[in-house]
Amino acid sequence: MLFPTVQFAIFFPIVLAISWALMSRPSLWKPFIVLASYVFYAAASPVFCLLLAGVTVWNHGAARLIHRSHDDRVRSWICRVAVAGNLLLLGVFKYYSWFAQAVAQVLHSLSLGVPLPLVTIALPVGISFFTFQAISYTVDVKRGLIEPASLIDTTVYLSFFPHLVAGPIVRAREFLPQLASPRDPNRVAVSSGLMLIGMGLVKKVVIADYLGRTVVDPVFAVPQAYHAPDVLLAGYAYAAQIYCDFSGYTDIAIGLALLMGFVFPQNFNSPYRATGFRDFWRRWHMTLSRFLRDFVYIPLGGNRAGRLMTYRNLMITMVLGGLWHGAAWTFVLWGAYHGVGLVTEHALGGRIRLPGWLRWLVTFHLVVLGWVMFRAESLGSTWAFLSRLASPGAATLWTAPVLAAIVVAIGPQLLPARPVQALQDRIGRLRPLVLAPALAVLILFIGATVPSQGVPPFIYFRF
Amino acid sequence: MTPPEPQHREDNLMDRFDRAGLRRFRARDAVIAVLIGAAILILAAGGSIRRAGNGMRAGIGRDAVLAVGDPAGWLAGRLPVQHAAHVLTNWLSPNLNLTGFVGFTTTTTAAGQSIPPVTPDAFDPSTIGASPPPQQPLRTLLVTGDSMSEPLDQDLAQALVPSGVHVIQDPHIGTGISSTVLVDWGKLSAYQVRHDHPSAVVVFIGANDGYSMPGPDGKLVNCCSVEWATIYAQRVRQMMNTYRQAGAARVYWLTLPTPRDPARAKISLVVNAAIEVAAEPWRDQVRVIDTVPEFTPGNRYRDAMTVNGQPTIVRESDGIHLNDAGSELAAKLVLGDVNRDFTH
Repeated sequence: MLFPTVQFAIFFPIVLAISWALMSRPSLWKPFIVLASYVFYAAASPVFCLLLAGVTVWNHGAARLIHRSHDDRVRSWICRVAVAGNLLLLGVFKYYSWFAQAVAQVLHSLSLGVPLPLVTIALPVGISFFTFQAISYTVDVKRGLIEPASLIDTTVYLSFFPHLVAGPIVRAREFLPQLASPRDPNRVAVSSGLMLIGMGLVKKVVIADYLGRTVVDPVFAVPQAYHAPDVLLAGYAYAAQIYCDFSGYTDIAIGLALLMGFVFPQNFNSPYRATGFRDFWRRWHMTLSRFLRDFVYIPLGGNRAGRLMTYRNLMITMVLGGLWHGAAWTFVLWGAYHGVGLVTEHALGGRIRLPGWLRWLVTFHLVVLGWVMFRAESLGSTWAFLSRLASPGAATLWTAPVLAAIVVAIGPQLLPARPVQALQDRIGRLRPLVLAPALAVLILFIGATVPSQGVPPFIYFRF
Repeated sequence: MTPPEPQHREDNLMDRFDRAGLRRFRARDAVIAVLIGAAILILAAGGSIRRAGNGMRAGIGRDAVLAVGDPAGWLAGRLPVQHAAHVLTNWLSPNLNLTGFVGFTTTTTAAGQSIPPVTPDAFDPSTIGASPPPQQPLRTLLVTGDSMSEPLDQDLAQALVPSGVHVIQDPHIGTGISSTVLVDWGKLSAYQVRHDHPSAVVVFIGANDGYSMPGPDGKLVNCCSVEWATIYAQRVRQMMNTYRQAGAARVYWLTLPTPRDPARAKISLVVNAAIEVAAEPWRDQVRVIDTVPEFTPGNRYRDAMTVNGQPTIVRESDGIHLNDAGSELAAKLVLGDVNRDFTH
């Protein structure tokens, strides 16, 4: 079920009302919220509810076993097996076809036959997110950072519908404490929730989808049909689109959780304000960055084993981070590109001093260049897109609404953070009964911008 | 040596709403606020909720939406709020204005005593050894359909744009010929022809079809009877006639490769048969490109096949669409026919 759909607009008020009615009785609330979350998930892929349940039971069992064992070696082995199980699942569903075809083509060219069945496997929605959350739970139990939860709490944690299909990646130690006691019905950030839902819908439906269908999709499909000005515009437009699409989803998810009394971690912090790659990754998809840092980079050794090993660890982390987004060489290239960026920054170590505005300008354009690799269908398409930047010609797509959409998406990130935050806080203190009609009217206007075929899925649903 | 990894402070900002004092309202406020918002939306857009439900496939989801949408639509239709909201917001709509174009009409009748005339248009010269008409320059190619037409449209554009052909990609995701809820392809095809004047049209559609359609007596005819196939073929023929522009343009209509799901496979069998029947009067202008022998010989679904001597996956994981490699192959089939008819 997508958030900006009629189905969800009917589903959510019912679930919200029942959720608060049952909140004071956890023995009823928890089964109810699990049921609601599985109904939400089943709307996308009913069969894969079994998979979600399987991941839950697997990690719950592993966490229990780890907790019971007093032998560190045994605990490590159980943890490794549990993580390997999660990764195997992710690998089968997400990468099998890609891997099997690559192997088959190499072996076939050597006349060695096709060793693996070449079949396509449907990707369960949200698998990348809930397997990562499951890994974080098991590993955090093994590290002694949290106690293992009951089966029902683990189930609520992994299936809670606001974060189920596209994050943010909420760590167990951030969520499980919120299940320890019922949410306080007198301390709910209602207006902040409503504001975030409204902001998210505007970002996704009005800005991201508009830029996608008017500029990004046509230019990336056939860059040969466009000249430098339009290709350049498409690069900026995609930077705006992917930010609005993903952060819009996150805003809605956080807003829905707030209305239900839960808090999720922040996932974006004005990423296009970054003045370096490291800064960018502290602002973009922050929950994934933290996951990669804590579960890949640091276990690999982080920066503790010398300069070269640090560079190696950075490259491995970023290539895996790229591959997490999907089974395609373009994602590998994008991850490696960011890895090279981080390594270069480390290597320079602040030896080149540039004015702040210039560092921002360079970083922003390097990030946009990375998005071209990320968005292109293939490595060939990436090159076709970039080579058109050397083709002077007419600007056919530079219209006022397109430019306005890009400015509205990126501009506020460059404003001083404090006044923007103060404004958001001020809205968050408005009375909900004033804000609710305003949000409804906003939704009417947003709905009018939706084409007849509906709202396209969020970009990160594919990951 | 670089300095050791610093201890990371918790940077999840979980306390950000507490710090700003924003968790200040009651749960009751949340529920009332959401219900007020929902009530306003029902009054101002009840008809849209009903329309959304009518556009969904049969199932629990559709029933749930219509359980709200039917009374909401009824209520909204009797109050002025919906009309006012429409007037206020309609200027934002990205949808084409198809008012004035003729949509699908149901005109199927049983065969009578009279013999339908056969015209020379019914013969593709190449099939009877006759000399083909001279090739025309290809100026504008329209590639349209439902999601099946993606990324075929990209592949065709990438092949033809460098030779100066104007390729218009006009996919309408989620639409079908058997359902006019999202778009009436009868009207849309007329609009496309008037707007774009294509010298050739490539159509790849049918993945969403299988909806019940009104028969000649107004009663709904369910898929996939002969009656349903007849109505479907009539609609396809209306579109083909529009696209061929009285013989001034060529139409390349792709059949559906057999999908994995047996229920969908049954629909695709009927859709493909209807396409063949629909094209009969204009075989010299309407080329049916049969994808079944290429992708699913004998109507047997397969994920992979040999392409250029390499084992290659050609279908998406949904078992319906062609993936990039499959789409490239379909584009080659289309280009083979296009190059027979046009120079570029």
